Amino acid sequence: MALSTHTTPSGFLLPSIHSAPPFFTEQPNQNTQAHLTEQWIRLILTYARHKRLFVLRVDDAEVPGGDWDEILRNERINRRIPPSYLSSLMASMIAKNLAVYEPSKQTRAVLLYWRLPEEWADVLHSWATATGQLNTILTFYEISDPPIPSPLSGIPIPLLRRAITILSRSNRAQIIGVADGEGVRFFIG
Amino acid sequence: MHRGVGLAAFDKEQLSQRFAELSSELSKTQVDNLQSQLTQFRTALSHFATTHRDSIRRDPAFRHAFQQMCSSIGVDPLAGPRKGGWWAEMLGMGDWQYELGVQIVDVCVSTRERNGGVIEMGELVRMVSKLRGVESGVVTEEDVTRSIKTLQPLGAGYEVLDVGGGKKMVRSVVKELDADQAVILAEAQVEGGRIVEATLENRRGWTRERARAALENMLLRDGLCWLDSQDEHYGRAYWVPSAMRWDE
Repeated sequence: MALSTHTTPSGFLLPSIHSAPPFFTEQPNQNTQAHLTEQWIRLILTYARHKRLFVLRVDDAEVPGGDWDEILRNERINRRIPPSYLSSLMASMIAKNLAVYEPSKQTRAVLLYWRLPEEWADVLHSWATATGQLNTILTFYEISDPPIPSPLSGIPIPLLRRAITILSRSNRAQIIGVADGEGVRFFIG
Repeated sequence: MHRGVGLAAFDKEQLSQRFAELSSELSKTQVDNLQSQLTQFRTALSHFATTHRDSIRRDPAFRHAFQQMCSSIGVDPLAGPRKGGWWAEMLGMGDWQYELGVQIVDVCVSTRERNGGVIEMGELVRMVSKLRGVESGVVTEEDVTRSIKTLQPLGAGYEVLDVGGGKKMVRSVVKELDADQAVILAEAQVEGGRIVEATLENRRGWTRERARAALENMLLRDGLCWLDSQDEHYGRAYWVPSAMRWDE
């Protein structure tokens, strides 16, 4: 049996390791597990970027039919990642600062950093500059759900807030209270 | 024994001295003869080597034949520069062999996390060929084995292991494989890397305890196999990554 790559219906290229049955079992040998953890994290983040997914939940391993089925399951070899394994992968991602528990004080859902908040800050500022929205007040909603799709479409508010906080440290943005929640004003960088 | 005293004894001494002279003269002629033969042979061989240099480097079958010829007359064309700089220079094979050695190390080290430091020979040849950007068949098992021998002075523990059934594995970590592990590596090849206790019981007549101990050692202590706890038939199966075929 050869382990080969596979293209999913959504057009994502799964690495060959995804067709190896033991990939779906948490390994008792620490070195082996460290190697496989890296493979899993890379897979999760590239897939998240491919489908623009921001949140990963333990539930995604428990209940089929979610956004993550293409990587958390492999029907061709009849394997799926056990929820406990996914949960420990999530903990590893947090230790490597590639995700945060969101909301905090629970461990069943994480916000993924397939771009770090610093990178989102740059994307955000470039978008505001390119679309001529410096010095005007924008609501968070206008950024995360813009009329014209942007690189920021669908960005979760907590992540957006982190990015804006980073920009405000270098005086490139300012958070402002507006009537229906929060808003922001960007300044030339 | 009685020793002669008088003239006769003197003659005898002179005679043996002359014999000695003659004998050394004879052996000198022989040595000279041999030397000239050797020179002739060297010239012929080096002529052959330079004429067919390209074929030797390019054509694995020709290279094999040339190496067979050399070994049958007791010369190693690929001995390192220290021993046979002349050969290396003549063929440019020294570089070729060392280059291959570096690439072997590259493949072994980069796959070590995955396979615990043991890689199947065919896989290694395939990956080295890929690294060199050459078609399969250009680099042969024999070339790889030879290169691994040149790596020996480095003491990194590179070794070719015969696991039986015509399968060879290359070990790149200083770790002794015991006999049971060699059997497991060989059996794992049969099912594309998958191995369960029952296979070892049925095919090798091992007791369950022996099979379990050997597999668990490979899993936990050596990192030479991976665990699959979702196996359809046995629930718990072991996978030997060096026996799995990776298409990447």
